[in-house]
Amino acid sequence: MIEFNQVSKRYPTGQIALYNINLTLLAGEMVFITGHSGAGKSTLLKLVALLERPTQGEVLIGGSPLTRLSHRQVPAYRRRIGFIFQDPHLLYDRSVFENVAIPLLIAGMRPSEIRRRVHAALDKVGLSNKVSSFPLMLSAGEKQRVGIARAVVNRPTIILADEPTGNLDPELAQDIMYTFAQFNELGATVLIASHDHALVERMQKRTIVLQKVE
Amino acid sequence: MAKQQAAQKRRPTARTHPLDAWLNQQKHAIQFSLQRLWFSPMSTWMTLAAIAIALSLPTSLHLLLKNLQSLTDSKREVPTVTLFLKSNISEQQAKDRAELLSDLPQVVNVEVITRDEAMADFRQITGFAETLETLDDNPLPHVLIITPKLSLLGVTDQDIQKFAQKLEVYQEVDSVQIDVEWIQRLRAILRIANRIILVVSILLGMTVLLVVGNTIRLDIENRKEEITVTRLIGATNAYIRRPFLYNGIWLGLFGGVISLVIVNVALLFLLEPVSQLSTLYGGRFTLQGLDGLMTLEILLASSLLGLLGAWLAVGRYLWKSEAIE
Repeated sequence: MIEFNQVSKRYPTGQIALYNINLTLLAGEMVFITGHSGAGKSTLLKLVALLERPTQGEVLIGGSPLTRLSHRQVPAYRRRIGFIFQDPHLLYDRSVFENVAIPLLIAGMRPSEIRRRVHAALDKVGLSNKVSSFPLMLSAGEKQRVGIARAVVNRPTIILADEPTGNLDPELAQDIMYTFAQFNELGATVLIASHDHALVERMQKRTIVLQKVE
Repeated sequence: MAKQQAAQKRRPTARTHPLDAWLNQQKHAIQFSLQRLWFSPMSTWMTLAAIAIALSLPTSLHLLLKNLQSLTDSKREVPTVTLFLKSNISEQQAKDRAELLSDLPQVVNVEVITRDEAMADFRQITGFAETLETLDDNPLPHVLIITPKLSLLGVTDQDIQKFAQKLEVYQEVDSVQIDVEWIQRLRAILRIANRIILVVSILLGMTVLLVVGNTIRLDIENRKEEITVTRLIGATNAYIRRPFLYNGIWLGLFGGVISLVIVNVALLFLLEPVSQLSTLYGGRFTLQGLDGLMTLEILLASSLLGLLGAWLAVGRYLWKSEAIE
């Protein structure tokens, strides 16, 4: 499903984030990426979401290289991916419902269908009672879960999460990891970057450790 | 293995028919952009006022010109040539000349106004009666009013002029006056005025463009975060652009509506004094307002200006942000 072929990424600042990465993820797999901060976990996810382009090598999704996507095809490709950011990037002038509905609005869904799906997604992350709240009224964990609901509401084939439990207490972090496992059970390919070794070990999934490039 | 098969079958979204999707997106963009207008009523009203004022100036100038043109148009339909005969010509001589003239192929009709008839006409006009009483003699000449046949003569003013020169050679004729002369002059002036209005319209149209463009630019500035996030989620440029374009259309359209209100109120304000002036001159001139077509044109033009202004502002932003990416 996701394939890295000798991928390197060097930022314009000269910092080498990834060096010669070879990696294959099967469809429906759930994989953790760990490593020290600065080891390139975020960069790896960004390469998959086309938020960055590799300086060398190529990333293949479903067998076809991402470099072949034209500028105009990128939005459609991104819609197949659910990306969960460390900072959930919510819009503070919109309610929880409206935030989660954005991917569906972009897809041009009917309002009735949007309502049904948003409620289903919020239900899955345990926020069905916060539908009409605004992000400022939510705790960090709740905000993170709104971000997750927004990422999965469109039923993406690939779910990418960058430190989704970064600033949550352990119990909540565990909960969220189980939520991801659930989405994985439903068929999504899940790739999670996390530096929380204990938590990753407990999940008993395939784990990839990135070493910092010296 | 079963899970992998499930993964293969998995579809990103239940397909919405592309046309339905497009319509839903439009509906949402319209709704959303209208909400945004209410979201910041103060800046919206100020923008609308600026647009309305910029639009009402060329509109009212145009109306003024149209009214002046209507003055000349009614006369233009029957250009006539007036022959003032010499004072020693008798009434019978005048009538004979008229008969001869009416036989000319270029002439449709010759009307004779004798000096007595002319005097009687003058008496009827208010204010002249007493003046005429003071005269011992009728100073007025006999007058022949000729309606030329335009199909034979040609329709331009020069053709009529040439015809008038021919009439001047008859010995009974004292002077010839073409009653289109003042209209010609007025029309020349109006043509200049027309150009001036065109220039003013273009300048003020550009003002509208800039006002809308700047408003949209500020709006984009305020919503940068939102644009970034939606783009990460997979919004196309068209999707990002759409609510801003509608916003531009609304600003143009509502600004146009307000400008029409301004112009029409100004017209009502003028209606009474103009008709008073008109009766003083014994005319039946009434002030013409904006007709339906013109109203529609103004609204269409202002909406288009709004759309264009928004397009330029968003286009510039998207182009810039893409270059950074």
